[in-house]
Amino acid sequence: MKADTQVVITGTGLACSLGKDTAETWDALLSGKTGVKPISGFDVADFGSHEAAQVPGLTPDGLGIHPRDARIMDIHSLLLMMASREAFRKAHPVHSGMLGEEMGFFAGMGMIDYKIDDLMPSVLKSLAPDGSIDYHAFYSGGYQEIHPLWPLAMLNNITFCQVAIDLGIRGENTVFCPHAEGGMIAVTEGCGTVLEGRSRLALAGGVSEKVSPLSLARGHLAGVLKISTGDGDGRCRPFGEGDKGTVLGEGAGIVALELRSSADARGAAYSTMLTGYGHACEPLDDGPAPTARAIARAMDRAIEAASLRAENIDLIIAHGDGTLHGDKSEKEAITQVFSGHSDFVVFSSKAALGHLLAAAPAVDIVLGTLIIENGIIPPAMPEDAGQRGLGLNLVTGSPVRKNVRKIMINCQSYEGQCSSVILESVA
Amino acid sequence: MSLNTTKRRVVITGTGMVTPLGRNCAETFDKASKGISGIDYITNFDTTGLPCRIGGQVKDEWLEPFDDRAAGRLERYSSRGLRMMRTAVLEAAAQAGLSEVKDRERVGVSLGSHGENVSVAEMSDLLRFYDGRKWDIPGLIKSGHYSPFQLYLRKPDTATSILSMLFDCRGTSLSIVSACSAGAQAIGEACRVIQDGKADAMIAGGCESTLNFMGFIGFVLIKALSEKYTTPQTASRPFDRKRNGFVMSEGAGAVILEDLEHARSRGAVILGELLGYGASADAYRITDTHPKAEGAFIAMAGALEDADLAPEEIGYVNAHGTSTTQNDLVESLAMRRVFGERAKSVPVSSNKSMLGHTIAAAGAIECITTLMGMHRSIILPTINYEFRDPKCDLDFVPNEARHMPYRRALSNSFGFGGQNACLCIGTFEE
Repeated sequence: MKADTQVVITGTGLACSLGKDTAETWDALLSGKTGVKPISGFDVADFGSHEAAQVPGLTPDGLGIHPRDARIMDIHSLLLMMASREAFRKAHPVHSGMLGEEMGFFAGMGMIDYKIDDLMPSVLKSLAPDGSIDYHAFYSGGYQEIHPLWPLAMLNNITFCQVAIDLGIRGENTVFCPHAEGGMIAVTEGCGTVLEGRSRLALAGGVSEKVSPLSLARGHLAGVLKISTGDGDGRCRPFGEGDKGTVLGEGAGIVALELRSSADARGAAYSTMLTGYGHACEPLDDGPAPTARAIARAMDRAIEAASLRAENIDLIIAHGDGTLHGDKSEKEAITQVFSGHSDFVVFSSKAALGHLLAAAPAVDIVLGTLIIENGIIPPAMPEDAGQRGLGLNLVTGSPVRKNVRKIMINCQSYEGQCSSVILESVA
Repeated sequence: MSLNTTKRRVVITGTGMVTPLGRNCAETFDKASKGISGIDYITNFDTTGLPCRIGGQVKDEWLEPFDDRAAGRLERYSSRGLRMMRTAVLEAAAQAGLSEVKDRERVGVSLGSHGENVSVAEMSDLLRFYDGRKWDIPGLIKSGHYSPFQLYLRKPDTATSILSMLFDCRGTSLSIVSACSAGAQAIGEACRVIQDGKADAMIAGGCESTLNFMGFIGFVLIKALSEKYTTPQTASRPFDRKRNGFVMSEGAGAVILEDLEHARSRGAVILGELLGYGASADAYRITDTHPKAEGAFIAMAGALEDADLAPEEIGYVNAHGTSTTQNDLVESLAMRRVFGERAKSVPVSSNKSMLGHTIAAAGAIECITTLMGMHRSIILPTINYEFRDPKCDLDFVPNEARHMPYRRALSNSFGFGGQNACLCIGTFEE
């Protein structure tokens, strides 16, 4: 393949429960750490799920963000800003004289929830003597208790625009929402835009939603969250037996994508490239996940686009979110696509980082790049919990040294969308 | 992954819409071509005391009922925006004969929408079970007031997923949330999916229903809405010197995009071609557009470049034209930058003068009216244009539709926060 049809990764950025950047996160993953802890910040006693991989204590202080802008930024905004800045710094496009309009930006954004505290004063001011809401009082003035910038914080694209402003990005862009496939589509759109020459460089990835009462409620209603039992460390168990369900996480992942010829011309370093992708959509009738058929179709399409065969894949970074239906469909799809092949191993980041929703695919692509660069695969779980018996050869216990050159990365939504990409070493 | 050396041509084989002016494309276009306004006093909710009390509402009876059992099962998950979108897609899919396409894995959905807003009733219900720190979840559940489906209505991707199910689309599925440019970006991104060979056909467009208290109040608080008007119908006055904010509306627009060869092979009627798409970010300020129209210019120039057309080949521009002081000023500047000396002779008009601003639906609706105008040789007017603004000195097709042929046009959408999109649309030519 020619250098002008290869999309390489010239920058990576991460911010999540295990670290404020790529290096911190990688070290923690190799040590077998998990960011999953008891949820802080609000009372979870009446929710079934009590653990998540949150990023506690994150504030705009020290990030050089103007207080005016910080007023409408929440945790997800800071995470996206941090990951984007790291990827951008590593790719250093501006030092190479690249103009804002030559740079694109594509991101999947998690849901942005109303904070009841922001709205409470307006409702309290509008209460009738009997405690019910006096609508007339609300409509004719109570609403003015809401901070005038509150509407901005509620717009799905504002965080994205703040990052574009911060980095001076003016080229092609789109915001996708809100699950893992949104983050993956952002990456594949980033690839498309550099392949077609519409941008010289594209930042692509995503950010999770903030763990909040509403995000937990949504997860429970969808029937995908793990119910806390008090036993164990609260992690989800990708493809594991026993308690099924996923655990939410907070984080962002961003990659800088560029044509290999462009990276070479300006002397930018890279070790990996994205060589194929596939998308499909077909929800299960009886559960919040895609069908195995759809996942297999996305995987097949990605392999075909990369001009590979299944046996060429060394590692699958699975979606592996620990849910009953999601794991079952994905395992069936992997078994079908990789039928007759046993040389590959499987990794999932969800037990360590939680389910990062729209951030998950880009985070996994960044981790895949680190795996290829370092020749080592972190453990998906701290111990061999009977995982190997399930036939997927999941890396558990301790890191595994392996010369990994070709990785398939999967993701899916609860509504039936699924995507796969192929990440390859350039060496 | 490699670049397709011969870019697939993407054609439009179906269109559908529901707007404050009508239940479908023909009704909307016919009224708009007569300069009729779809704006009136809001009746959806109590606006007493608010500084803006007008909007463009869609009549409930225009929305297609969920009549069959399969669709009915999905109704409870469906926001008002999605109900409008379903109506628009039914029209577009019927026109395109989309159900005849056999390989449903090659049919996708790309939708710009933002989910439904929380209602005041919902907020007050929720607050009864929250003391500022702790939730009384058992109490909330026991009360039976709070439907779990509320959470689905708020998720932007719920609408995309339901459309995929209703119209049996098993290919690429995109949920786009880029504010006022979401509809145009959804069409642009769908075009890319087809060009990349990832789908043969895509349902693309946008829908929005923010005419409820919490949706509306956000724009009141940031003072984006028109507050000085003598009648509802004259409030939206894009490019007029006395413009003072936009008018909020609801609606949906849907197009069926298709690979040219695929459309030909099944004998579909080709309505037009999506020639190009450009997108950009202002990277300036969250609350202001770039004073030199940098982002708008990049998007328009990008669409032209993508279409491989020179500015002089464009016969009409369907403006974003919101009727805010800033947008219209900056958009006029962008026009001058793109078209140079010819800017004053390129007709540019704003559908929002009649339809109001339908946010995520606007880009899709305006793409369709542009195409319909090509077929009918009609350029829709900018109504309420009374007082010339010396800083906006272009040919805004004031007050009356103009009968003139045009074959290629641009349609602008500039989103809050600084995301911009521009579609280049043309009649189909071999």
